[in-house]
Amino acid sequence: MSFDADVIIVGGGLSGLSAGITAVMEGLNVILLERGEYSGAKNVSGGRMYIHALKMLIPDALERAPLERPITKETFEIFCDKNRKITFSFEEKDKKNSFSVLRSKFDRWLASEAENLGLLISYSTLVLNAYREGEGITLETNRGTLKAPLIIDASGVTSIVFRLLGLRKFTPDKWMLGVKEIIKTDVNLPENEGEVRTIVGAIKGVKGGGFVYTNKDTLSVGMAVTFDSLPKSEFPAKDLVEAFRERIGIEGEILEYSAHAIPYYGFKNLPPLYDKNLIAVGDSAGFLINDGFTIRGMDLAIGSGMIAGLAAKKIVESRNFSNTEVYYEMLKDSFVLKHLELAYNRFELINSPLTLSTYPEILCNVLSDMFTVEENRNTLINDFIYRLKEKGIPLSQTVRDLWKAIK
Amino acid sequence: MVPLLKRLGLNTYNVDKKPHIEVNTDICINCKDKPCTVSCPAGTYEALPDGRIAVHYERCLECGGALVICPFGAIKFRFPEGGISYRYG
Repeated sequence: MSFDADVIIVGGGLSGLSAGITAVMEGLNVILLERGEYSGAKNVSGGRMYIHALKMLIPDALERAPLERPITKETFEIFCDKNRKITFSFEEKDKKNSFSVLRSKFDRWLASEAENLGLLISYSTLVLNAYREGEGITLETNRGTLKAPLIIDASGVTSIVFRLLGLRKFTPDKWMLGVKEIIKTDVNLPENEGEVRTIVGAIKGVKGGGFVYTNKDTLSVGMAVTFDSLPKSEFPAKDLVEAFRERIGIEGEILEYSAHAIPYYGFKNLPPLYDKNLIAVGDSAGFLINDGFTIRGMDLAIGSGMIAGLAAKKIVESRNFSNTEVYYEMLKDSFVLKHLELAYNRFELINSPLTLSTYPEILCNVLSDMFTVEENRNTLINDFIYRLKEKGIPLSQTVRDLWKAIK
Repeated sequence: MVPLLKRLGLNTYNVDKKPHIEVNTDICINCKDKPCTVSCPAGTYEALPDGRIAVHYERCLECGGALVICPFGAIKFRFPEGGISYRYG
């Protein structure tokens, strides 16, 4: 049976392009299929990239990539109710570890880098069906049929090739809905500074939170909440981002309204990462980290894409296209799976209703008592224990949770 | 609050001739909660007085949520050939 390429990559976002760049540099014959008219046309992301993986892919990316602003200030806001919130910030000037990005611009740039290196990208190409045939996988697209012995599924959380082959079962608790607006604004900050605000509890009922990312002359304002919590939200999904924006007091001209599903599996619940002739990367593999302080998907997409490109070389050389476990073995040795595993304790903790609503409320009550002077006054620890008791939470559990948070 | 249709109007759409979303509205009649009507960020699914659902497929933001929001499998969703293009993303 003749094949159209050594490897076909489905999806021209960060993970697909990283896999494509790596595989082409390894000398493989690669075709990448992108659904949009250009890379980034279909991409939506909150908009912050930790750039360590990008620098591995393109060493001088920092000088050339269309990044928005370095994130030099982190602010967390936790709403207990309408009148009370806890806010804390951390600032580190000259920090260049993560940047705000706008994906339409960024992915288009990365695609042009990939094309300059020799990657063949077929745009406006939608995969309609996939099935096993002979020794490989056949993809039916709106532009004709393509066959390859190895497919890299980089199609995002909906993992089209895995799905069409019956290898994915989705549930609303393992997916988040991301909704976002781009707001035109005069950012009152020097060029080398940017802020990320993470906001929890502004909208009641939902499991998740909101964000504000500072771009060059716009703000990315949005929310990410689990699909199963949406029916319990005080606002329907179509009004979520507007209600959130009003609640946190951001005004300005809306330039874009977008939405996207986000994988929310956690290390121990990841979907199958590989099958015969098939590898999943980025969102398609469910790679997202939320450890309470950092929310990461883009560096994991680039990292897993690069590993997939290297694994593809090994698989093609061995001529054993069933042995895609090679990819998994390489992933295990990489930061991708190591960091996902490290983050799992806190990921679990963040998902607990205690963390999302009860603990903030207790903390607000304790802080409110602390800042209220009356004749009767308690010690801080007694007040804390009293407030815990009020909610029926044993101190031992709180200590265990605190341990989980720092472990 | 800026109305949904005004926000959707900011986007560029290249709508397919054939809907990329199909709903089995006979199932919807028996669905009390209709989670699709509150879970879609584009207001694609609208509850009708007769208990069925109207589908505004041309509004779709292609988040993929349709693949998980109906608990009864009444929604058939595939990605469109044209559809939305984002300027900022």
